[in-house]
Amino acid sequence: MVERHGVERPGTEKRGVELRDVSFRAGGALILDRVSVRFEPGKLNVILGPNGAGKSTLLRIATGLAHATSGDVRYDGEPIAGLASEPLARRRAVLSQHVELAFALPEADVVLMGRYPHYGRVPTGYDLEIVNRALELVGMEDKRDQPYPTLSGGEQQKVHLARVLAQIWSDASAPGSAQAQRFLFLDEPTSGLDVHYQLHILKVVRGLLSPGCTVIAVLHDLNMAFEYGDHFVLLERGTVAVNTSDPRAIPAEVLERVFRVRARHLQTQGEDTGLWRFEL
Amino acid sequence: MGGDHAGRMPVARRSDTFVYLTLALVLLAALVASACLGAFTFTPARIASYLAQGAGWTPMREADTLGRSVFFQLRLPRVLLAALSGAVLGVSGTLMQGLFRNPIVEPGLAGTSAGAALGAALIFVLGGSTGALAFSAPLGVFAVPVLAFAGAFAATILVYRISSSFGKVNVFTLLLAGIAVNAVCGAGTGFLSYVARDPQARNIVFWSLGTFTTADWRGVALVGVCFAACFAISIGYAKPLNALMLGEDEAAYLGSDPRRLIARLLVVNTIMVAATTAMVGVIAFVGLVVPHALRMMRSSSYAFLLPASALLGATMMVVVDIVAREVIPPAELPIGIITAVIGAPVFLWILLRDQRSGSSGYYG
Repeated sequence: MVERHGVERPGTEKRGVELRDVSFRAGGALILDRVSVRFEPGKLNVILGPNGAGKSTLLRIATGLAHATSGDVRYDGEPIAGLASEPLARRRAVLSQHVELAFALPEADVVLMGRYPHYGRVPTGYDLEIVNRALELVGMEDKRDQPYPTLSGGEQQKVHLARVLAQIWSDASAPGSAQAQRFLFLDEPTSGLDVHYQLHILKVVRGLLSPGCTVIAVLHDLNMAFEYGDHFVLLERGTVAVNTSDPRAIPAEVLERVFRVRARHLQTQGEDTGLWRFEL
Repeated sequence: MGGDHAGRMPVARRSDTFVYLTLALVLLAALVASACLGAFTFTPARIASYLAQGAGWTPMREADTLGRSVFFQLRLPRVLLAALSGAVLGVSGTLMQGLFRNPIVEPGLAGTSAGAALGAALIFVLGGSTGALAFSAPLGVFAVPVLAFAGAFAATILVYRISSSFGKVNVFTLLLAGIAVNAVCGAGTGFLSYVARDPQARNIVFWSLGTFTTADWRGVALVGVCFAACFAISIGYAKPLNALMLGEDEAAYLGSDPRRLIARLLVVNTIMVAATTAMVGVIAFVGLVVPHALRMMRSSSYAFLLPASALLGATMMVVVDIVAREVIPPAELPIGIITAVIGAPVFLWILLRDQRSGSSGYYG
């Protein structure tokens, strides 16, 4: 088993998102048990694990939405517990899996919500510019006036991706803190989408990776995760079972135990494809 | 719904001003019409002359004391109270739809108005008896609005708590809770009006369907002050209300505090609805129809809906009041009959549409 989360590296790089001894208890049940992990910028960090392993709870705590029972969360070495929610929202954005919106808001208005933490009463020209560019980045600029409820599920998810991108948008022409570190969390961003939208969203996310941006995604599809991810944290009943950057270093026995399946690598002409095949 | 302005900027508010201006002009026309029409008919020129005399710009003309006093003591407060009540109910519908994240909520359906009526009826009816007097005396003239607020707040919180769980609002539970709270408050108010000695308090029609016949300057002042304060506060929350459309978690991710937002705006909403209900009774469906028409006409953005629903709500109520006076003169129709005739079909239509599109059940 690859157990690297316990390795201390004092004095090294503090960039990224760090969870220190995070435990979370709800109604007597221990959901997370002293989880310590570090997610580095410039990488697509993937959280994996079966249902009920504590992935969503971990994400809620890492984003600052929920508070750990003990332990703390740090962005670039700074505990987020003391941060006000609006300054935090300028640096940290979260794409959830199913955002329902019953009201007929034009697509561009939904994306503009990402700029809410940045402006006061009225959006600036820069905010509107970012909305346009975020929509272009996800390929949804043609439907900017279309009411959100009339979009397909995949299109709706693209709109929300554009919204969270607009929220932590950064470029050289940005006024103020253009060089600030940003943190993007994705909670099963591709669930319920067809394969085209799944790949599209992961491709856009990979395109964002930069030393200034830490990306953490909860993903369910293991093969897709291993193909697109850079670093992998596998949760098992509230603890970290695997913490590695090399998917090939994850033994089949661990996946079999954690996900309660039988797992083997797919071979093509005697060569390991790196893809897993799972059976009950 | 957006398609009307090809190529407009994201969230282009550049033509919102045009919409506001149009709505304001229509409201002005309705106000003038309402001031002119009635048992006493005034020409616009005569109204202008009264207003000039009232403002002291021209000397009082002794010949027309009756007309002038009818205008200033009866007609003008009635027109203004109708407009203010409509503005309150329109804005309240918008706010409650934002807080419940659901387009079918409004103060009449969610029990807010009925709770206010029960609270106000308590003072109106029991105000003369010694026990209630001892209780209400320290509150003085504010006894009615304060008790109306208490009743409205209790009813709203009850319905909100029952219908929402884990940050989501269940439509069916919401409607059922609203029916139950309305029934209980209605029964209480009915009982109180039955035992009342005061003729106005005995008027069950007043409490259940609303009327502007009792309008006076005190009511105009109370509703006007409450509306101005509550509207000014609400308009500052347009952004977080928009974010709340995505759900409580998403709103929090966008930097707002949804729990605090909901708590504050429920109080603000209850204050203005309570003041209005204490003065004009329970008027349903305005808060449903007005935001709905505006959502269809333009956008669901609260930055637009809040001011627009004040203008359109005022217009609708002033027009409804004209109809109430003109349909069967010299008698008057209760306001709630007319608003129900307009509003209930709209309500059913929204329910049907949502059922067909499969989006009924949960909004959030």
